Amino acid sequence: MAMNDLPLNGIRVVDLSWIIAGPTSTRFLAGMGAEVIKVGSARRPDPSTGSPPFQAYNQSKSYCSLNISDPKGLELVKQLLAISDVVIENFAVGVIERLGLRYDVVRAHRPDIIMVSSSGTGHTGPDKDYVAYGSLLQHYTGWNSISGNPQGEPVAGGLWADPWVGMELAMVTAAALNNRAITGQGQYVDFSMAEALSAALPGAILDYQMNDRVPEIMGNRDALYAPHGVYHCAGSDRWVAIAITNDGEWNSLCHLIQRPDLGVDPRFASLEGRRKYQDDLDTAISQWTIQYEDYEAMRLLQDAGVPSGPSLDIGRVFDESQLRDSGYLKPLQMRDGELRDLPGLPWRFDGVEGPNLTEAPVLGQHNEYVYQELLGLSLDETNRLVEERAIY
Amino acid sequence: MLDVGQGISAPYCAKILAHMGAEVIKVEPPEGDEARRIGPFPGDTPHPEKSGLFLALNINKYGVSLDLASDDGAKAFKSLVACADIVVENPPPDTLEAHGLGYGTLRGINPGLIFTSVTPFGNRGPYKDFKATDLVIHHMSGHAQGLLGAVEDPDNNPPIRAGGHQAELVGGMASATATLMALYRKRMTGKGSRVDISSFEAMVNQHISGLASSAYGRPAPPRDLAKVQEAASGGNVSAIGGILPCKDGYVAVSPREDVQWERWLGIMGNPEWATDDRYTTRDARQRNSPSLWKLLSEWSSNYSKHEIAQWGQEQRIPCFAVNTVLDLLHDEHLAQRKFFVELNHPEAGTLKYPGAAYRFSHAELSLAARPAPLLGEHNRSILENLAWP
Repeated sequence: MAMNDLPLNGIRVVDLSWIIAGPTSTRFLAGMGAEVIKVGSARRPDPSTGSPPFQAYNQSKSYCSLNISDPKGLELVKQLLAISDVVIENFAVGVIERLGLRYDVVRAHRPDIIMVSSSGTGHTGPDKDYVAYGSLLQHYTGWNSISGNPQGEPVAGGLWADPWVGMELAMVTAAALNNRAITGQGQYVDFSMAEALSAALPGAILDYQMNDRVPEIMGNRDALYAPHGVYHCAGSDRWVAIAITNDGEWNSLCHLIQRPDLGVDPRFASLEGRRKYQDDLDTAISQWTIQYEDYEAMRLLQDAGVPSGPSLDIGRVFDESQLRDSGYLKPLQMRDGELRDLPGLPWRFDGVEGPNLTEAPVLGQHNEYVYQELLGLSLDETNRLVEERAIY
Repeated sequence: MLDVGQGISAPYCAKILAHMGAEVIKVEPPEGDEARRIGPFPGDTPHPEKSGLFLALNINKYGVSLDLASDDGAKAFKSLVACADIVVENPPPDTLEAHGLGYGTLRGINPGLIFTSVTPFGNRGPYKDFKATDLVIHHMSGHAQGLLGAVEDPDNNPPIRAGGHQAELVGGMASATATLMALYRKRMTGKGSRVDISSFEAMVNQHISGLASSAYGRPAPPRDLAKVQEAASGGNVSAIGGILPCKDGYVAVSPREDVQWERWLGIMGNPEWATDDRYTTRDARQRNSPSLWKLLSEWSSNYSKHEIAQWGQEQRIPCFAVNTVLDLLHDEHLAQRKFFVELNHPEAGTLKYPGAAYRFSHAELSLAARPAPLLGEHNRSILENLAWP
C-alpha cells in the first residue's frame, strides 16, 4: 500500500497488550503508519479472539504467536524489542516483571525504547494491585457520579473507560516519540486508567472545592443553556436532542415550532429565564417534536440553525450516512468472504493518504515475517521453536 | 502553539500539549473565551476569571487578547503564526477564514505550520455545516443509550448524556493525539499539515466494540429491560457486572469468571440459592442476571461500600466503591501518586486541579507551571515583543 507519507512510518511497535484498551491504542498507531506487531499465545489467547470487536481492535497489525512464559520465547521477545521503537503492555501490575520484561531489562536490549505500561490504578501507590475492569473503574473514579437522572440510581456507564484510555495511550506514545526525536532519550510511561477518567472531571472537582458540594446530577439538562434535552418524536423510544445556546437559536426555534408567543414572552428572553421555566418550554417543544420522525425533526431544526440530532442506538449509528460519506466507515474485504464496513480514525490529514486500514490478523499469521525476515532465524530454527512451544 | 479555541475541545487539546512541555499562547477575543462564562463558579456567581472549567482547561498557558477582525489584531496574529509550530481552533466553520486568516493564508506565512481544526462533524460529509453541542453529539453517537442502560419504560425514561462535557473532551483528546502525530511527521519530514477532527467520529470511535458488532449484523442491545433477558440468552448483553446497593451508597462488582464467582460466593457466606441451576454456570448467570442481581442486592444492602470493595479486592475480584469527587479528593492512593496539583490563581485563589494519568521516567511533565491566564494577561510581554511583518 502506497502510504509513504503517514506520520508514523518507520516506527515499529511491539504490542504485548490484550482485551480493549491496549489493542485500541496500537490500532491508532497502526492506522497512522506504524508497523504494529501483536504478540500473543495460544496458551492464553486474547479474550476478544473470535469476537467481532477483535476485528476492529486489531486492524492493520501483524500477529505472531509467542509464548513469553517459555525461556526461549522470552529470548525471542527480547530480540524483537531490540529492533523496535515502542512496546505497549496492559497486564495487571507485576505481571510484566514476573515475565522478565521490566523496563531496565527491556532497555538493556534497546536503550531508546519507549515502554508504555497501562494498568487499572497505575504502577505505584497503595492500591496499585487492585484488580480492575474498565467498566468498574468508571464508578471508582467518580466518572459515573456526575451523570444520571436527578435522584436516580447511579448510571450503568456503558463501555467508556477502555476506548478513552486507548486513545490517550496513543497520545502519550506520540508525545514520547516526539521527545525521543529531539533528545534521543527513550521513556518508561506509567499510565493509570483510573486517573485518565478522574482527569476528565475538572468541572466537578473544582465545583466541590469552590462550593463544598458534590455537583448536582442534571440528566440531559445543562447548568447554563436551556432549553436543553431530548424530546419525544413519532414512534416508540424515538427522541431528538435539542440544545439552545443563545437568543438567536431560541428565536429560530420558536418560529419553527410556530410558537411566536414564546419568542416574545419576556420571561423567556434570557438564558436565566429559559432555565427557570424549562419545564414549561419542554412541554411546548415536545408538542411539536412528537409530530415528526427523529431524523425529520433534525433536518427541520438544522435548517433553522438549531443544534440538534437524533438519539441513536449503536445499530442506527452504524447506519449513519454521515459516517460513510465522511469516509469514517469503509468497506473492508474480510477472510470470511464478506465485505464489512469497519471503522477508520476520527481525523484526516489534508493531502495525506490514509489511514492505513487492513483486516485484523489471526494468531501466528505473521510468524514467517517476524521470525525469519525480521529476526533472521532459519526455517529449521523456527520449526524447532514451534515444536518446543516457544513459538506457540 | 497558538490556542485559538473556545470552550472545551481545542483548549483541552492545547492543555494536553502544554503538559507535555509546549509553550502555548492562548489567543482570546476581547470578550474572552466562552468557557469563562461556563461554570462552576464560587457561589454560582459568574465571573470571567473564576470559571472552574476555564481555569482547569487553561493551566500552563500564556494568554493574549486580540480582535482578529481589526487590522492590528490580524497583523499581530500573523506575527504569532510566523513563529509558531501549531495552531488549534474549534470554530464554527470558516471563522478564521472570515477574517482572512484561514489555513491557506497562514500556510503562506509559515509553510511548516500544523493547523488543527476540531468541529462537531469535521469538514466532510452531509452534516459538515450542522450545529451540534456536547448533548447532541452524545445522543447521535449512541453513548446516551449505553450510559443509562436498560430501563423499565423507555418511552418515559429517555437516554441521557454523561455529565462534564465528555464529548468535547473526547474531541480534544483526539485533536491532541492527531496533532502530536502531525508534529512527529514534521520532525521527520519537515512537512506541515492541516489536521481535521470530527468530534462526532471521535465519539463514535469510542463505540468501537459496538460498531464492529454491527458490522457483523449483531443487533443493538435493547433499552427495554423486559427484552434484556431475551437478548441475554442470545449472548448480546454482558450483565455479569454492575452495581449493588449498600448501606452508604453503591459498590461496583464483576465476578464474571467462574473462579471469581466461587470466591465471591465465599464472601457472601455461600448462600443456598447459589446451587440453583439458574446460577451455577457463567452462561446461566448471564441469562438470569436480573433475578441474580436482586439476590446479590439483598445481601449487599447490609454492608458499607468500602467494606465490600475491600473484601472483593482481597479475593482478587474486580470490586470498587462507587465514588464521588469528594472521595477522590480524599483518596490516599491518588495522594501518594501526587495526582492532584495545587495552583494559586490571583483571582480564584488556591485550588487543586486534576493532573495527568501518566508519568514519564525521563521527562518532567509541566503540570503546574502557571495558573490559567487572566484575560489579556500577557498582551504586553508577548505582543510588544513581536517581530511585526
